[in-house]
Amino acid sequence: MLSAHQIREIVAERDARRRGTGKKVVDVREEMERLEEKGELIIHRIRPENAPVNVETLFGWTKRIPTSRLWHHKSCGQCGNIPGYPSALLWMMNALGKSYLNEPHQTSCTAWNYHGTATSNPVALAAVAARNFHRAYETDHFPLIHCGTSYGDYKEMRKLLVENAEVRHKVREILRKMGRDLVLPEEIVHYSEWVHAMRPEILARRTHDVSGVVATVHEPCHYYKMIPEDAVYDPEILGGQRPAVPTGILLALGARVADYSTWYDCCGFGFRHILSEREFSRSFANLRKIRPMIEEAHSDVAITSDTGCVTTLDKSQWIARAHGEALALPVLADVQFAALAMGAHPYKIVQVHWHAAPVDRLLEKMGIDGRAAKAEFVEYLAALKRGATPETLYPPRDEIEKYFAVNKGQVLPEEPASAASGALVAAVGRALK
Amino acid sequence: MNPVLVLGGGPAGLSAAAELASLGAPVLLVEKEEYWGGNPRRWHYSLLAPDLLPAEEVLNPLVSRVEGAPLIERHLRTTVSRVEPLSSGFRVELKGPETSGWREVSSVVLATGFDHFDSRRKYEYGYGRYPDVIDFKEFEGMIHDDRLTRPSDGALPKRIAWLLCVGSRDVQVGNPWCCRMGCAVSIKQAVEVRQKHPEIDTYVYYMDIRTYGLWEDLYWKSMNEYGVKFIRGRIGQITQAEGGKRLLATGEDTILSRPTEVPFDMIVLASGMEPGTGTKEAAQLFGLPVGPEGFLTPKLSDLNPVESGHPGIFLAGAATGPKAIPDAVTEGMGAALRAYKHARG
Amino acid sequence: MSVVAHLPHRTPTLTDTEAAHPPALELTGRRPLTAEERRTAETIFGEFRADGRYREYVLGCLNCGECTTGCPAARFYDFSPREMLQIAAVGDATTLWDAMQEKIWACCQCYTCNMRCRFGNDIAGIISVMRELSVRHGLESTRRVLAPFNRSLTLLMTVGTQVASDMIQPDFFRDWGPFAAAGEKSWDADPHLLRQAIPIDVLQTTTSSWEVSVQTSLELFRIYEEAGVLDMLRGLDPDLTEMLIDIIEERREEFEEARTRYHSQLAAMHGPVATFSG
Ligand SMILES: Cc1cc2nc3c(=O)[nH]c(=O)nc-3n(C[C@H](O)[C@H](O)[C@H](O)COP(=O)(O)OP(=O)(O)OC[C@H]3O[C@@H](n4cnc5c(N)ncnc54)[C@H](O)[C@@H]3O)c2cc1C
Ligand code: SF4
Ligand code: SF4
Ligand code: SF4
Repeated sequence: MLSAHQIREIVAERDARRRGTGKKVVDVREEMERLEEKGELIIHRIRPENAPVNVETLFGWTKRIPTSRLWHHKSCGQCGNIPGYPSALLWMMNALGKSYLNEPHQTSCTAWNYHGTATSNPVALAAVAARNFHRAYETDHFPLIHCGTSYGDYKEMRKLLVENAEVRHKVREILRKMGRDLVLPEEIVHYSEWVHAMRPEILARRTHDVSGVVATVHEPCHYYKMIPEDAVYDPEILGGQRPAVPTGILLALGARVADYSTWYDCCGFGFRHILSEREFSRSFANLRKIRPMIEEAHSDVAITSDTGCVTTLDKSQWIARAHGEALALPVLADVQFAALAMGAHPYKIVQVHWHAAPVDRLLEKMGIDGRAAKAEFVEYLAALKRGATPETLYPPRDEIEKYFAVNKGQVLPEEPASAASGALVAAVGRALK
Repeated sequence: MNPVLVLGGGPAGLSAAAELASLGAPVLLVEKEEYWGGNPRRWHYSLLAPDLLPAEEVLNPLVSRVEGAPLIERHLRTTVSRVEPLSSGFRVELKGPETSGWREVSSVVLATGFDHFDSRRKYEYGYGRYPDVIDFKEFEGMIHDDRLTRPSDGALPKRIAWLLCVGSRDVQVGNPWCCRMGCAVSIKQAVEVRQKHPEIDTYVYYMDIRTYGLWEDLYWKSMNEYGVKFIRGRIGQITQAEGGKRLLATGEDTILSRPTEVPFDMIVLASGMEPGTGTKEAAQLFGLPVGPEGFLTPKLSDLNPVESGHPGIFLAGAATGPKAIPDAVTEGMGAALRAYKHARG
Repeated sequence: MSVVAHLPHRTPTLTDTEAAHPPALELTGRRPLTAEERRTAETIFGEFRADGRYREYVLGCLNCGECTTGCPAARFYDFSPREMLQIAAVGDATTLWDAMQEKIWACCQCYTCNMRCRFGNDIAGIISVMRELSVRHGLESTRRVLAPFNRSLTLLMTVGTQVASDMIQPDFFRDWGPFAAAGEKSWDADPHLLRQAIPIDVLQTTTSSWEVSVQTSLELFRIYEEAGVLDMLRGLDPDLTEMLIDIIEERREEFEEARTRYHSQLAAMHGPVATFSG
């Protein structure tokens, strides 16, 4: 086995080589600085309030992960069909005292549609990315990207906007027509990188012993196969040979992470395939992922960190019955698993009922009383039916925000709302200059 | 006459030193490791391609010629730490256990050689994590010492695969060049395995077989005499199968145009040749340019491949690019001749 | 395609000369193209090679097959990224046309091929370029492929998210079994109630992943208009496009009404809200 130091050297060397010859990999972040100096774009910088934590990427580059004052860039699939995914994340931020903003003034990245149907083009994709980035900027909250595909797409768009002047100018023109400007965040940050950076804090608040859990990790393709140089690797996790997220949080929590032969395979989501190439999608998920995870690794849970992966791996299992196979491997996002280990309510917060594969046995292994939790939830549903006000993780937004992208500072556990509004006005003023 | 400095005691450097001595020139032969013979010695090469001669039969005469020559002052574990130009020749500072301090030399032969590509950098092959994924330089030693067992459990493998071009012809790791030796050496290794253990199945995964020139004979023989099997297409990733008992090689058979997945007991990686750290240091020390690949570059690679372009500095062997032993030895002779001419003035 | 036609230049490769004189590949067992199809095929081929991304993405190929190694689609379809790259690099108009009928849609866009390719090709990207072309030219095969996406496309274009929880209807996703939608576990709750039980205000809806503010949706539609996406769609499905425009018209009216309603509050504000007009 290699020492951490040896691997770090190798990583640095690999970077130097890739930069030196062949296909050059440039650090777009450096290019961004240059373009900002020339007034061609604005960099949304990570500030001390964002309490950044440094991590390392594949090339040994430093990546700064802001941990507070974040703008949630939600994922359509998560919010639509796995709502416990974002709510576990928001709950965790509340628990760890991290401030954030979650608002209706965000579109999706539109990349699912693009990768599925190609009914878009690079300019539109880049403009969508930049619009959302600008919105985060004017609220003075740093964007945190929930979806792996959005994350990959935004990194590609950042690269395109930096390297291609014509696209850049065209996008800027479009943005200006709606009173916005070209803003690129200093780093494009996936929520799982935030979870990774929060490992010590999460561990400190662990309430359940998960050492009996054997997990298998499915690494989301768009996390590390698109713009690989920016994905987070750690010499001490998987020998630095595979991405450190989301494996790192599992190891930190004390779970066992088991290897399996199809580790590198995709989940079978395929963008259009999940809807219209179902035989492929379901077969792939079961044959190439779920079955090896169960048979080779004897795992209790599959952990991943992307929308499409959770959906595909989870929902595809049922149809295997058609072939006489009763596959039943719970599939959770890293943040859901970590929230459970921190004592989050399995139904009210982690919303496990949106998952198709049964999680009861996993909860039991984690020492969580799933039955009691379910009873509480059923009771809660009854109360809602009687007209009780829904419990929320932050005070609900104002009516005006249904229409207009205004912001009054919704959830700021760390600071009073008025301070945030002040910062907002300042940011808007800056953005308009 | 001040001695000629020969830097590097691999095949090229040994050849240059012996040649200079035979011309009557004093030589200062400096090698940073504690042995003579360069990479072939370091990794205990077994039989050499293409003629399947034991490496000792090639290396030993080279070393004994040097050791038997009174005109050659030899220093192991020694390096040059500083260089200053003189009106003719150089002043060099040696650092070593037996000798340290400044010496004047009339000319210089740089024979600083190559380093193997570090296979850990192709993460997807799991080298360094999976004990049965082996670099072919280590495999040389294993055949040489007749240790053909699997590192993981000591069992004799039933099926071994060779994967060519690891860290060569690959911009993912920044090495777009061909290593020139990987094909021939891998095939030779498969032949050696079949000679000793005909019951072991041997497969070579390739995208091109570059047993150039007369070396092609080895390739043909490996099939019709030894039954080595060739699969066109590369293994793109290695994982563990059967609960860690075997390796799973996933690739594409590009003749069948289908993805394949084959369990193996051992997989040998033909890691490429990169400019050695010693070569990079020497380039800096003597202020010589290196090419985009990082190797030293002769001024006229066609007409005079041993001349650096800087008066009094000559190049030989794998320091200027991937090379076989006969070429390294020939260049050592050529560089010796030029260095001698220069020293004579 | 004008916008990306001027991407950074690379040294011309062999394939550029071939583009002028494409090799005549004879494919056996296929129906010859009609004159009209041939014309479209030639046009598409020309646009394909002229797209600035072509030079960026297609660099050359060693036929190593490493791209295919991890390709999910190659395991289930008569398809491989190596083949796609070969078609892109050395294929002629007919070969490209053939691939565009069906094959390009096998790709999962997982980017495994890109990560592996030792030549540095962007294979997933060049497949997307082919797909864009087939959408722009409204190929019949493309219409077929995209038909199931109308619902999410409509949602995307008019609201800004691509998914809604009410898309998982039991009879539409029968293969996901009885537990696919949350409401049908061991209790019997209606979908609206279950959405209400999500502790995030903007998620408490069934018709979109989250409630997107009207201004935000209108901004997105503006992007689609300006970037030529609407024109692209019009070529593919004029009826759908008209419908989208109608829906957006309504949202614009809704927005303007709200502007009157919230007049005094908005007057106190600066910035994009005040200046934006749907
Ligand atoms: C696995 C493998 C098997 C091979 N098998 C064959 C084969 O069968 N047949 C064949 O013909 N070829 C074979 N080769 C090729 C052969 O190894 C090379 O041709 C040969 O080693 C080149 O000799 P060289 O002297 O130029 O370099 P090297 O062998 O690299 O020797 C260079 C020497 O210089 C020393 N040095 C470097 N820098 C300094 C410094 N600054 N100061 C002091 N000393 C320094 C190094 O320590 C080293 O000893 C094989 C190569 C590989 C990779
Ligand atoms: S010699 Fe063979 S193994 Fe080495 S790079 Fe060339 S083709 Fe590959
Ligand atoms: S992006 Fe497409 S072609 Fe490439 S590996 Fe994935 S499915 Fe295959
Ligand atoms: S990985 Fe790249 S070089 Fe190898 S076959 Fe695929 S496209 Fe060609």
